[in-house]
Amino acid sequence: MMSGTTRPVYLLESAVLNAAGNSAEALYGQAPTANALEFAPDRRGFPLSVPRLPTDRFDRKLQRSVEAQSLRLLHCAARLGPRLEALGLPPERVALTAAIPEVDAPSPSWEAVAAMRQQPDLWLAQWFANTPPLHSLILLNSSSMAYLAEALACRGPMAGYCGQEGAGLDALLEASHNIAEGRADAALVVSTSPNITPALFLRETELEEGTTPLVPGEGAAACLLGVEPAKSDTRNVRIVGYSRGFLSPTPAQADARQADPFARVLNQVLSCEHLSMSDLSAVWSDPDDALLRRAIDNYPVRPGSRPVVGALGASSLLTDLAYALAAPEFAAPVQTNYLLLLNRSYTGHLGALLLAVEPARRAP
Amino acid sequence: MRRPRIVISGLGAVTGFGFEWQTLWSEMLLGRHCIRPWQPEGAAGTSFPIRYAAAVDEQSLPAYLQTHPAWSSELEKRARYGWVAASQALTDSRLSSVQWREVAVLAASGAPHHWLSDMQLAFPDDGDEQPSWRHVMRRADQVRRDGALRQSSDRLARVIANELGSQGPVLNISSACAGAAQAIGNAFHMLRRGECELALAGGADSVLNLDTMTALYLLGAASSETRWGADLCRPFDAARAGLVAGEGGAFLLLETLEHALARGAEPYAEILGYGTSLDGYKLTAPEPEGRGASQAMAAALDDAGVHPEQVDLINAHGTSTPLNDRSETLAVKRVFARNQHYRRLSVSANKSQFGHLIAAAGAPEILVTALSCREDWVTPTLNLNEADPDCDLNYCPNEAKQQRVDIAISNSFGFGGLNASLVLAKYRSEAP
Repeated sequence: MMSGTTRPVYLLESAVLNAAGNSAEALYGQAPTANALEFAPDRRGFPLSVPRLPTDRFDRKLQRSVEAQSLRLLHCAARLGPRLEALGLPPERVALTAAIPEVDAPSPSWEAVAAMRQQPDLWLAQWFANTPPLHSLILLNSSSMAYLAEALACRGPMAGYCGQEGAGLDALLEASHNIAEGRADAALVVSTSPNITPALFLRETELEEGTTPLVPGEGAAACLLGVEPAKSDTRNVRIVGYSRGFLSPTPAQADARQADPFARVLNQVLSCEHLSMSDLSAVWSDPDDALLRRAIDNYPVRPGSRPVVGALGASSLLTDLAYALAAPEFAAPVQTNYLLLLNRSYTGHLGALLLAVEPARRAP
Repeated sequence: MRRPRIVISGLGAVTGFGFEWQTLWSEMLLGRHCIRPWQPEGAAGTSFPIRYAAAVDEQSLPAYLQTHPAWSSELEKRARYGWVAASQALTDSRLSSVQWREVAVLAASGAPHHWLSDMQLAFPDDGDEQPSWRHVMRRADQVRRDGALRQSSDRLARVIANELGSQGPVLNISSACAGAAQAIGNAFHMLRRGECELALAGGADSVLNLDTMTALYLLGAASSETRWGADLCRPFDAARAGLVAGEGGAFLLLETLEHALARGAEPYAEILGYGTSLDGYKLTAPEPEGRGASQAMAAALDDAGVHPEQVDLINAHGTSTPLNDRSETLAVKRVFARNQHYRRLSVSANKSQFGHLIAAAGAPEILVTALSCREDWVTPTLNLNEADPDCDLNYCPNEAKQQRVDIAISNSFGFGGLNASLVLAKYRSEAP
C-alpha cells in the first residue's frame, strides 16, 4: 500500500468518545483524572458512563439489550452518518470494518445465574427462563457490525477484527485496501475499547516483567475514508503507508533478534514514500518504550492518547489518529507534513501508520 | 503489473472425524458424518434439548500428537484444536523451520467461553447483594484458567505466532461464521499485494457449551429434532430444522507460487479471488432474496477474473436452517443465471458431515474445496432425502461424486449478514 497502481485513500472525518469527551480537540484540554475502580480499589482507570444512542438511527430496544462497549461504538460511529450520506454512494460501495474486543462477561445472563442459585433443583428451567434469546448474539462483534450496517446503509465489503491495540490498525488497513483496490468508494472504520472488567487484570500474567500496570480507559473511535477529499476541507489527510509486525512478548521466544521486527516495520513504512526519519513532521508513540526508542534512534516522539484517557485497546489507534490530526500545527498546512504513528501492544503486535497532511487541493 | 499467484501448500484439520485432514477427507468421500449424541458439560441426563453435535473425540488422539504442547497449556479447547491444526498444516507443508519466522498468522476465533462457575463468582456468598465484579476480583484465584476472564480471544493467533517465532503480521479475525473465510481471504490478499510471502490462516472454535448452545436453541437456530437421531443435519432438505454444531478447526499454509516452487513444494490448489459483503438487513436472518450473499460471490469472481460459467462447484454455507438454505439457493441462481449455469453446477454442504464450526466453519470447508479441486471429487450433502421446492439445485445428495472440478467457490455467511466467498482453482503450472 498504497502503490502507484492503486487509488489514493483519504481520511474524511473521524469521531472519538473517551473520558476527555467526544471530540479530538478535548484530548488537548483539561486532562481527566483516573479513578479507583469499584471492583478493584487498588487499581485505577477511566470508565465511561453508557452513552444514549440516537433514536433516529437505532431501534430504541438496542439501548437496553446491547453491551456497553457496543453502545459506545454505535454512538461514536453514528456521528459519521451525515458525512457518509453526503457522499451519495450506493450502499454496496460502502465498506465497513471493525475492531471490537471480546465481551468479557455475559451480564444479561446474571439473572439466569441468580435464579439458579435460588432454585438449584430447577436449574435448567431457570436457565432457559432467564436467558435472553439474543444473549450470545449481543456478544458477537458481528452484531455490532450488523446494527451499523443497517443504520448507516453499509452493504459493501466487510471485515471484523478482535484483539488488542493491533486490531484497530488491521481494520483501518483492510478498509483502505478496499478503497485503494477499487472494491469500495468509502469505508466506515469503527473500533471500541473493552469494558473495564476484572478480565483486563486477570489476564495480566501475559504482561512482560517490569511492565507498568495497565491503566485502562473506556472509549470508542471511528473514521470515514474515501477515494476523494471533500472540496470544502481545509486540508487533505491521505493514508500513505503502513507496516505490521509481531514481537513475541514471551521470554522463551525473546532473543537477541528482538529489535529486528521493529526495524523492519519502520523501514517498510518509511519506504512507502521513500522517506527517512528526518522527513517526518512528527511521530506519535509510547515514549517509555525502550525497544521502540532504540529502533528510531531516540528520535523525539509525542505520546499518544494513553496518558490522557488510559489504554483504549482496540480503539487506541483510531483515537491516536484523531488526536494527532487535531494538533493545531497541522490544521491548515502550507506543505505536506508526514505524520507517523507507531505502536507496540503488550501482546506483541507492532504497527506503523504513515499519513500525509497536505494543503487542500484547489478546484481547477 | 502481473499479480503473484497464491497457492495452498499445507493442510491441517481437527474435527469430529479426528486429528488429521486425510481422515476427514476419506470419511467424507465414504459419505459418513461425525455427529453423535452430546450434552453440555454439567447437563448430562437433563432435559437439555440439544442432543447431538459433532464433537472432537480427544480419546482418539493419535500417539504422535499426545506430546503436543497444546494439551499441557492453559488454553480454551478451541485454541488447543486450532494450535494442533496449525502445527499439522505446517508439518504438511514441509516448510523449513528456518522460514517459520516469515509466516504471517491469521486466525479466526469465536465468542469466548463464559463458564457458569465464573459467573457464579460474581454473586456474594450471603446472597443479599446484587452480582458485582468486586466479588469476582476477591475470588480471583477461583476463576478458571480456560475461560473468557483469563483468555483473550486472540490467544490462538498468538500461541501459533509464538511457536513459529513469527515476525508477523499476526491478526485475530472476528466476523462470526464468516471468520475463517475472512482469515484465509485476508491472507490471500496480503500475499498478493506482497505484505508477506507465507501465511498460516484458518480458525478454530467450539460452542459446545451450555452458555452458547442455550442461546442458539432459544434463537431457533440449533436443531433439537429427534426424529432422525444423529442424521438431523439436513441442508437443503424439506425437513431441515436448524444447525448442528461442531467443533475443531483447520489451518492452511498459503504462499506465493514462486515461493512454493522455489522450495520444491507441491501446491494442493490455487486461490484466485476473495469477496465480501454485508446484508445490512437483520441481525438474526439473512436477506431473504440472498442479495448480500450473491454480492459476495460476485465480488470474489470479479477479484478472481473468472466468469460464472467457469465455476464447477459451490461449497455452500448450507447450515440446514430454513432461512439460510433458501436464500443461499436464490443467491446462487442470481450469480449463475446466465445460460442457467446454476443447473450445471454441483453444490455441496459440508456441515452435514462435520457440523457447523461457527467462527471456524470456513476453514475446513475451504480445505475440502481445495481437495475437491485437486482430486476431482465432490463430497456429498448428507440426509437430503426430500427436496425442498425452494432449494432446487444439484446438491450431490448422500453420495460423493467424481466430477472434474477446475474452479470452485466456498461460501461462508455469518450471523448479522456478514458474507465471504473465496474462489479456488485446480493447481496447474500454467496460469488459469
